[in-house]
Amino acid sequence: FATVTMVTTIVANPKAPTPPLNGGATYIGEAVCIACHQVQNNHFAHTVHANAFRLNPKNEKEKVSCESCHGPGSNHIKDPMSPGNRVSLVGFTKEWGTPVALQTQMCLQCHDGGQRMFWQGSTHATHDLSCSDCHNPMAKVSATGLLKKASINETCYTCHQQQRAEFAKRSHMPVNDGKMSCVDCHNPHGSTSKTLLKADSVNETCYSCHAEKRGPFLWEHAPVRDNCLSCHNAHGSNHDKLLTVARPFLCQQCHGNAQGHQAPLFNSSGILGGGGAANIRIMSHSCQNCHSQIHGSNHPAGARFQR
Amino acid sequence: LADSAVGTSTVLGNAMTASNNAATPRDPEWQKPKHTPTGQMFELPPAVTKPGEAKKFANGWEYSGSIEFGYIGGDADERSAQFRTYSDPGNDAHLNTFNFKLRQPKTGHYVELNGGGAARDDQYYGVEFGRVNDWKVKLYYSEIPHVFTDRYGRIWNGVGSGNLTLLPGLTAGGTANTAADNAAVLAAALANQNTTLALGRERLGARLDVNLWTNWKGYLSYAVEKRNGARPLGSVWGAGGGTAPIEVPEPIEYDTEDILAGLMFADGLTALNVRFSASLFKNNIDTLTFQEPYRIAPPAGVTTTPAAGAYTQGTLDLTPSNTAYNLRAEFTRKLPDFHRGYFSAVVSAGEWRQDDNLIPYTSIPVVLTNVTTNANGGWNTVGALSRRSADQKIGTRLADLTLSLNPSDALNVKLKGRFNETKNANDPYLAVNPNAVYVDADAAAAGNQTRGLTFDGVTGVWGRLINDASGNAVLLGANANPNGNTPIKAPTFDSKQHRFGPTADYRLTKSSTLNASLEREVIERTQRERAKTWEDRAKIGYVNRGLGDSTLRVSYEYEQRRGSEYRASTFDGLFSSAIFPMPTTAGTNVSSWAVRTNTGMRAFDLSDRNRHKGNLRVDTMVRPGLDVGVSLQATDARHPDAAYGRSRQVLRSANLDVSYQPNPSQSGYLFFSQQFGRIVQSTIASANANLTIGLVTPLGTVTPANAIALGAGPGGLAFPLINAWTARNEERSQVFGGGFRQDFKSVSLNADYSRSIGRSRIAYDYTVGGAINAATAPIAGSRMPDLATDVDYLDVGVRVPLSASWAVRLVYRYQAEKIRDWHYYGLATTPVVAGNVANLPTGALLDAGPTNYRVDWYGAMVQLKF
Repeated sequence: FATVTMVTTIVANPKAPTPPLNGGATYIGEAVCIACHQVQNNHFAHTVHANAFRLNPKNEKEKVSCESCHGPGSNHIKDPMSPGNRVSLVGFTKEWGTPVALQTQMCLQCHDGGQRMFWQGSTHATHDLSCSDCHNPMAKVSATGLLKKASINETCYTCHQQQRAEFAKRSHMPVNDGKMSCVDCHNPHGSTSKTLLKADSVNETCYSCHAEKRGPFLWEHAPVRDNCLSCHNAHGSNHDKLLTVARPFLCQQCHGNAQGHQAPLFNSSGILGGGGAANIRIMSHSCQNCHSQIHGSNHPAGARFQR
Repeated sequence: LADSAVGTSTVLGNAMTASNNAATPRDPEWQKPKHTPTGQMFELPPAVTKPGEAKKFANGWEYSGSIEFGYIGGDADERSAQFRTYSDPGNDAHLNTFNFKLRQPKTGHYVELNGGGAARDDQYYGVEFGRVNDWKVKLYYSEIPHVFTDRYGRIWNGVGSGNLTLLPGLTAGGTANTAADNAAVLAAALANQNTTLALGRERLGARLDVNLWTNWKGYLSYAVEKRNGARPLGSVWGAGGGTAPIEVPEPIEYDTEDILAGLMFADGLTALNVRFSASLFKNNIDTLTFQEPYRIAPPAGVTTTPAAGAYTQGTLDLTPSNTAYNLRAEFTRKLPDFHRGYFSAVVSAGEWRQDDNLIPYTSIPVVLTNVTTNANGGWNTVGALSRRSADQKIGTRLADLTLSLNPSDALNVKLKGRFNETKNANDPYLAVNPNAVYVDADAAAAGNQTRGLTFDGVTGVWGRLINDASGNAVLLGANANPNGNTPIKAPTFDSKQHRFGPTADYRLTKSSTLNASLEREVIERTQRERAKTWEDRAKIGYVNRGLGDSTLRVSYEYEQRRGSEYRASTFDGLFSSAIFPMPTTAGTNVSSWAVRTNTGMRAFDLSDRNRHKGNLRVDTMVRPGLDVGVSLQATDARHPDAAYGRSRQVLRSANLDVSYQPNPSQSGYLFFSQQFGRIVQSTIASANANLTIGLVTPLGTVTPANAIALGAGPGGLAFPLINAWTARNEERSQVFGGGFRQDFKSVSLNADYSRSIGRSRIAYDYTVGGAINAATAPIAGSRMPDLATDVDYLDVGVRVPLSASWAVRLVYRYQAEKIRDWHYYGLATTPVVAGNVANLPTGALLDAGPTNYRVDWYGAMVQLKF
């Protein structure tokens, strides 16, 4: 029944939903707005929104400029200072108090689809975030994206301090060095992945910069093929190469074969100067001193990832 | 530049960009800070040119821009790899940033140019032009340095190339005097220990975005990236795989082309995205051939090997060139008349390909002269291989469906389903050449014999030969007899993921919502220890924006993973045991058939798992100019079926943020993050005991039927319980910092400080006389030394305006790092690690590893704004 109803609904081609606006107010034009909001206009004039609305509007909605986002302002100017009259205009600050759902609806009137195809149901939407929790459409604070902070990363860090701390660790992605942004890997507007990855999987995300790891190799290493995060922390680590645990202990979490050298307790006596015989499986790259092609080998004799 | 849906390169900048931004004065007319709906302050904007005051050319084009340049002095030339990992500071003149904008108000056309770090290894440039709300073209170029080490002890010429020749004084193949060879390698490494191994990543890209028709947009982008440099790479050498590893410099000469093309439609009711992407990766150096400086001596009694010293070089097959293609379609349709719902569907298909030419097992023609593939060529030719090129393909498939409905004004329900597959589209590589006929002189039978597909051929695949060296011939010693653990076939790791379940969001009040979700994820894998795993997840979350001036977000999730039968040794079908059945004769050593991975071991990505996750976040507006954010995260995962392997993982994090911005001339911030992580793992050190048919073991008498269960079982001869050991890996991290900006009339002062502390401790438990013997136990103690990193960063700037257009910014930067890593202890003075200088070394580990640094540098920068 649901399928039939849904198909019927699609065939019926209903009108796109539009938000109920400001108690039936009418448009007053941006000149009236600017008369009181000159400082805001000084900054708004430098935004891509202002340029689009004022220099090359595509429809009637864009032509009304301020009111295309805030809604028609006739009820607002009747009593602009009264907190009780804030329902007469859509605002995008906590002070103003417009429900988040309505704020988002206003933005999606123009920004629906594209990069925001999966906003609904995304982690950020589920946590009731508003577009203006990250964006400030009224001023050009950031180089791109009309963000609330000077950069993409600083904007994300305002909620994701855990990741900010990881990017400050011994080995890390070059995010705080200004060479990467969170958006290189994640789509904060929603994606089909739970962690808002832009690609279909963790590995495909990593391959977008590390294509040499993609292979497919003649001899593949199961956890590498399965998920880069089996061994690496994506953001940063106290260990070399973003590893989750120091080698050889990392490798020994899966490798415990009786033959050879997988299962011994490699201990501090094997460190150079540790008092015992220096152990090659502890020093430097540890297991990768020999198994150096650990992401996969294309050598016909590379079964052990040594060539 | 940023496209949050596709592609990388979403930002242009470098490590100096933030410093410049911090010094920019705010607009004094913007008096009152506002907060986001969550309650975090919007950053006050910088002062801008007012409308009508923009500078114009005679033709009506408005222009504006700024530039910052100056000189940096002090310790900015410091070479430490930690200091320069992703940046390129230096003591010299510096064009830090610039931007220039043109705008034609009559038509909406514009041009924007920006860049920075000119002539340095972290430089970047961008140009964007077009017509607002119509079309735009973006061009960009960015360089990212990546310094791996500045303390590599070079012993070869040709670093960065695919052919490494030993420095003068070192002998390819070594000499008859191993002690002299060790001394020569040590002297060469120490004499060249200041060698930097680094990678440079240069990316050039272009993108066109255009409004095609009403509701239709399109984009086309192309980027080419070149990576050049070298990095340390282990290379084992000699005696079958365990002796004298030498750290060679792997050359990097990669080219990657990324192509993206897409169409987007949205009319408020229906949305459609179609995207094609291609990634073309080329490694311009296929193999690395390196001369080796040591003499691999034939073992006693071997008469069929090349003369000692014949093994002069080794060859590594470097990462192969590959291509990847993907076609993706995304569709969403609103259903306003059907419970105000929507329906979305995504389908995506792709393929990864790699068909590099393969290289022979060995480059030494005289190896195995008594074993030749007379039909196809010798071991040093590709004729001995089962195929001449890799011929590897993996197909990827994705389908993702969502139906969202609102049965009431307060309730939203979504049904989600997802299928994702990666599948090898080629036959796995056969290490045995099924077409070859091996002729050999078997010590066990006089004269040459034709054996067809024999163990001798198999032997050539693994062990001695892989090192391009070793004096051992395959027909001698134990190798004359079949064994059961020689890889003869490559595994293929296909996987299918199914994920489905409902979610619900319920609006409790105008300002609070409750959300919940149930989900099952089923993953089927080939060639893994578990053919199938399934994980059930339940999550509940609560958001309240109405707690006075605060916003609360809290969630809890429980996950439970289980799976099909776990087979600790899953590769048996890929070993020579598939050709040679386990011997059944009493007294026969069957260790290579029966003794595998401890059957109690569980790979942590497949084992049973019970995981709890909790998140809490509170944002509070304490005063109009002061807000505070607190967040807590905790994860606790246990693996109940993992008697050995990873048994538990704990992660905890606590974070505090304070933002202060009472007016445009003052701002400040503080932050603190504390993280703790623990991973517990255990295993049993092998007793290296042989298993023979008929042998009585603690687990029973060995028969061909029970040999594997007895051979790999905990408590058996190979894995006596006394050899069990446990390790606890504990991570502690603190990151804290703060900063401020204070304007004194026209002069601005800003400072930013942060300190990052990382500690990693690995403690272990064992039984003396078991995993560690009584003699070693006193020096082994109970833990490894702590891995420690302390990083300090301070950036102070004073900006003094000289006029409306000119200003001077004085910068002071302090950076320091203290690092201790036991992996590299002693390698700066002893890169050639040898228990006995007369023997082949334990290893020639030429990278001395990271070291401390402390840097102060100063900058005087001139700013021009127009």
